[in-house]
Amino acid sequence: MSAFTGITVDREALIANYATVSERVSPAGIIAVVKANAYGHGAADAARAFVDAGAEWLGVADIDEGIALRRAGIDEGVRILAWLHAPDEDFRRAAQYDVTPAVSSVSQLAAAADSEVPAVHVCVDTGLSRNGAVESEWAELFETAGRLARSGSRTRVEGLMSHLSNASRADDLDQDAALQRALDGLAANGITPEIVHLAASAASIAVPETRHDAARVGLALYGLSPFDDRTSADLGLRPAMRVTAAVLRTVPVAAGEGVSYGYTWRAATDTRLAVIGLGYADGFDRDFGNRVSVRIGDRMFPVVGRVAMNAMHIDIGEADVRVGDEVVLWGDPADGDPAVEDWAAAIGTINYEVVARVGRSVERRTT
Amino acid sequence: MNAPLRRARIDLDAYRSNLDLVRGWMEPVEVMAIMKADAYGHGLEPIALAAVDAGVRWIGVLTVPAALRLRSIGVGEDVHLFTWQHDPALDFRDAIDSAVDLGVSNTAELQRVIDAVDQRPARVHLGVDSGLHRDGATPDAWPELVSLAVYTHLAESSDDDDSAAVAAFDRAVETAEDLGLDVPMEHVAASLAGLERKEFRKDMVRMGANLFGIPGADGVSAADLGLEPVMTLTASVAKTKRVPVDTGVSYDYTYRTASETTLALVPVGYADGVPRRAQGRIEVAISGKRYPIAGRVAMDQFLVDVGDDEVRVGDPVVLFGTGEHGEMTVLEWGDALGTIGEEVTCRIGARVPREVVGHEVEGRVGVYLREQP
Repeated sequence: MSAFTGITVDREALIANYATVSERVSPAGIIAVVKANAYGHGAADAARAFVDAGAEWLGVADIDEGIALRRAGIDEGVRILAWLHAPDEDFRRAAQYDVTPAVSSVSQLAAAADSEVPAVHVCVDTGLSRNGAVESEWAELFETAGRLARSGSRTRVEGLMSHLSNASRADDLDQDAALQRALDGLAANGITPEIVHLAASAASIAVPETRHDAARVGLALYGLSPFDDRTSADLGLRPAMRVTAAVLRTVPVAAGEGVSYGYTWRAATDTRLAVIGLGYADGFDRDFGNRVSVRIGDRMFPVVGRVAMNAMHIDIGEADVRVGDEVVLWGDPADGDPAVEDWAAAIGTINYEVVARVGRSVERRTT
Repeated sequence: MNAPLRRARIDLDAYRSNLDLVRGWMEPVEVMAIMKADAYGHGLEPIALAAVDAGVRWIGVLTVPAALRLRSIGVGEDVHLFTWQHDPALDFRDAIDSAVDLGVSNTAELQRVIDAVDQRPARVHLGVDSGLHRDGATPDAWPELVSLAVYTHLAESSDDDDSAAVAAFDRAVETAEDLGLDVPMEHVAASLAGLERKEFRKDMVRMGANLFGIPGADGVSAADLGLEPVMTLTASVAKTKRVPVDTGVSYDYTYRTASETTLALVPVGYADGVPRRAQGRIEVAISGKRYPIAGRVAMDQFLVDVGDDEVRVGDPVVLFGTGEHGEMTVLEWGDALGTIGEEVTCRIGARVPREVVGHEVEGRVGVYLREQP
């Protein structure tokens, strides 16, 4: 029996995390964020799990991602919000597939109305300087929204959204105050959005004032912590992604011999290496070599040498490791698996990037 | 129809031109065109069809499923499809039925191949580990193996190491011949060693990165060698905004504007293959002018500070390409990010559609692309 090489996503963990986050942010609701292939977890399966857990809203970056979910069978009882649009987007596909666009400009709002999209959310920039209309553009945007409403347009402003910088609690609260100004501006034009949403995973936990009607939660639903000083377990979350690989071969190496391209590692003593078939083309950074450890059975072993395009090497010493054995790259530390945060720290990044960049070549299964 | 937010243009003319150049260098030695990892992220099928149309008769694709995929889209058995990394649970019967060349590196694996043989003979290449410790049998395990050909893989390290590796390879061939094995074909060198060390070429050279316009040697650009980068990564400006001095940009406000300025939003993020560490290292080109990434790269987007320049929504942004329009090349991305060009192209994500250019509408690539949903 040979181990599975790929990502196994624990559906029960996704459902449990949804319940945990739901309880924490209540009475605010959740917009379950499944953009970027559900942060690498597989968008369709993750979306189905969250819907089964009670999600009424899903969030994606772009309309194509929303359409892919509809095609995968997410029915129209579930709302899908998308906020990043091509410059010439006409929103006809959004209307056709019932994807609700968040609009950041007068021209986007007008295009959505022309395509008779039933509902839009207005996206404002409250400080992140990213998506969203900047404050100097609000007056014209809100007036346009008001005019549309009065003219009996079939497009209604259902929501107001912005996104936080997480720079500090004070910065986040400044952004919250700016959001309040946007709400006032809309009210002055006769519009009261039903769904106001600002916080994502981090602020929905750390800055409760920013929750409003819904929190847009991605990372925490996958069981990962958005904080560098609190683990998944500290937050009552279960990491849902487990990455495993089968040992393809074992090979003896004599003391002094080098391994993989550029020989960045040389054996200090006679030892054995296990080779697995995951490499940088599969999304595992070339720099992980010599910096992370994997689990085989009950023991941890270092990854040595540069990660190659389709392979990495593990120093297994004299351990009884055979072809076909399971190697765990990361999973739920509560089960003794390595934490993805250790992989992130090894290359100076965050857990979000490590999971979201596992490539499309890697098989995903949900259990 | 709306233009995609982001796209990778794959120029088959450039690929063919690189192929011609490399085949010229290696003449009379056969070139195996390596297309593992979805053709280094370029998209396997169009590259393979273009290569076959250009006369390539040896293609390396790493795994049996990838080879079977090529057989299924009409790559005929006159083209050798070489594979060398096999899941321990793989059943070799389909590979043998479809005349897929199997690189085999240990007796257990070879036994599984032999057990799977039914009607047709298996085409086996015996792998020798001459130092890289990735594929191939070690010298101790070597004498047990039987094969059609021998191959190994050089670690692109110092010359001494490579010379030692070739010596180990030569000893392995000698041992095989002493044991009564006729070795009709030997292949040893991948891109870099194949270029620089003629004595490493043997009967066939495996070429991958060079064919995609990504040279492997330090300090040598694609242009120096006459190679053309095949992939160009582009996006459209999705939003512009005028912001005051000292405006914090993106998560944690790691960038603050030095004066009143315009920010342009580029809808490509780390999930698409622009690493988070690109801040401060990567510049993108808009209308032929370079601009640095401002603030953290997010999952789906980043910002550039364009000052007082006239940049508008919809303007094309070139992230990397040939360099002809002021943009960085993929080689420069690799250098700037402390890695290699191959990692950059391999990790361009699934959300980035590959737009293939440089093919005849009625040719095989054109027909194949039209049949895709």
